[in-house]
Amino acid sequence: MPLLEVRDIRSGYGDMEVLHGISIHVDSGEIVTIIGPNGAGKSTLLKTVFGLLKPTAGRVFFQGQDITGLPPHRIVQLGMCYVPQVDNVFPSLTVQENLEMGGFILRGDLRERLERVYRLFPVLRERRRQRVGKMSGGERQMVAMGRALIMDPSLLLLDEPTAALAPNLVTQVFESIQRIRDSGVAILIVEQNARQALEISDRGYVFVDGMNRYQGSGRELLADEEVGRLFLGG
Amino acid sequence: MGPWERLPQLFAYGLVSGSVITLGAIGLSLTHSILRFANFAHGDLMTAGAYIALGFLLVFQRIPALRGHFGRLSFGPAMIPAFLLALLGTGILAIAIDRLVYRRLRRARPVMLLMLSVGVAFVLRNLILFSAGADPYYYSHRIQRAIHILGVRLKVDQVFIIALGFVLVVLLHLFLTRTRIGKAMRAMADNPELAQVTGIDTERVIAWTWGIGAALAAAGGILSGIENKLITPQLGWQALLPLFAAVVLGGIGSPYGAMAGGMLIGITQELSTAFISTAYKPAVAFGILVLMLILRPQGLFGRR
Repeated sequence: MPLLEVRDIRSGYGDMEVLHGISIHVDSGEIVTIIGPNGAGKSTLLKTVFGLLKPTAGRVFFQGQDITGLPPHRIVQLGMCYVPQVDNVFPSLTVQENLEMGGFILRGDLRERLERVYRLFPVLRERRRQRVGKMSGGERQMVAMGRALIMDPSLLLLDEPTAALAPNLVTQVFESIQRIRDSGVAILIVEQNARQALEISDRGYVFVDGMNRYQGSGRELLADEEVGRLFLGG
Repeated sequence: MGPWERLPQLFAYGLVSGSVITLGAIGLSLTHSILRFANFAHGDLMTAGAYIALGFLLVFQRIPALRGHFGRLSFGPAMIPAFLLALLGTGILAIAIDRLVYRRLRRARPVMLLMLSVGVAFVLRNLILFSAGADPYYYSHRIQRAIHILGVRLKVDQVFIIALGFVLVVLLHLFLTRTRIGKAMRAMADNPELAQVTGIDTERVIAWTWGIGAALAAAGGILSGIENKLITPQLGWQALLPLFAAVVLGGIGSPYGAMAGGMLIGITQELSTAFISTAYKPAVAFGILVLMLILRPQGLFGRR
């Protein structure tokens, strides 16, 4: 049984259908990347899986349970977290307060969970009392991912985690994503930096116009001539 | 005495009225930062608090052990439970209004909510008028002689108002920075969508925001009643203009800005009376409001 199974999903904004019947799955502990041109429906899929958009057809299963139409705060409790592409931190809160907000629904002592995130991102420990609004894009991305990881999710959804980051930071973020996977969390990424993302991915999907055009292991997609020519910039 | 020699004394009066304005402005700023609309009924929550305290005070004064006064203050032991119950009652009232009225229109445009709050303000004020009458009330008619401190003359009541205002502001600061709900309130003020995606129970945070904002408004209303020896159904409505001026001055949506803005408005209003008639106090607040909106709409401490 896959960890996440998306079956024939149709979804979009109001009357505009963006996804015309998409099916994907994510297994435990793997990194899966969705690539494709702008407007292909990559982010729409993440929002639909996380309950921010209601699909008009199809179903979403998480750990075998039908979660279609559940609100985000219920999905978080089941062990799936989502990091939006922009505005994904609370700028006037400190690093530690941002992380604590990730565990808001847990109520109990967060010390052990904070410790785990700090081990994953040591730079955040040094800056835990600093306001996130004053930090760089790469550090904010770590705060955003750390906040999601406080819940100890089994699946993390990342919407373009390297968008608008300097190239050296992009590499840093991809390294963090691998470390997160190695700690036992499955990750579904939507990414513009397609080549680098596929290099660390177990599997990948290529979306075009709201349809699933190609799928395969990260290596297969990188080696595929047509995918390379059309979507990886030659 | 010339106008310049009177400034220290007027500054002291400014601290007193600034404390009252601050307590009202904080709640206005809190609800604005989380629900994104200007609540015109906030002044009437101050009035409600003043009247609820009055009701409880009349009850507790029947208990012999609670009669009398604290030293030279105009009130005695009966005021303590009356004050606390009024804060609690006004908090519950605000949460109830939110559940009954505002909650149904969570996704409405801010201007719709603003109009709705004007309606709520009228209903609240007239309910108070209907149940307590139009005649003014007072908590006590005790005449107080002023005491001399640091070269100015203040009544003990006024010193108490400044001190209590300060204590409540510190308590609010601790609440916002040390508690789980307080931090969530700041998070929601930053980014309500992200707060929801993160799993923060936004409805609970909203309820706390109304409760805390209204309790502080009630404290402001009661202190205003103590200071002015006058409680009328118009108490809060008349205070609304300086409250808005304070919130805009400090930066809309920042509770810390509202604290500074409240003190500045109070002090400026009092200092202006050295040079122009006391009748122009509201005009001074209005002038600051207009100037700020033209010159620095993000407020003195605003980021954007």
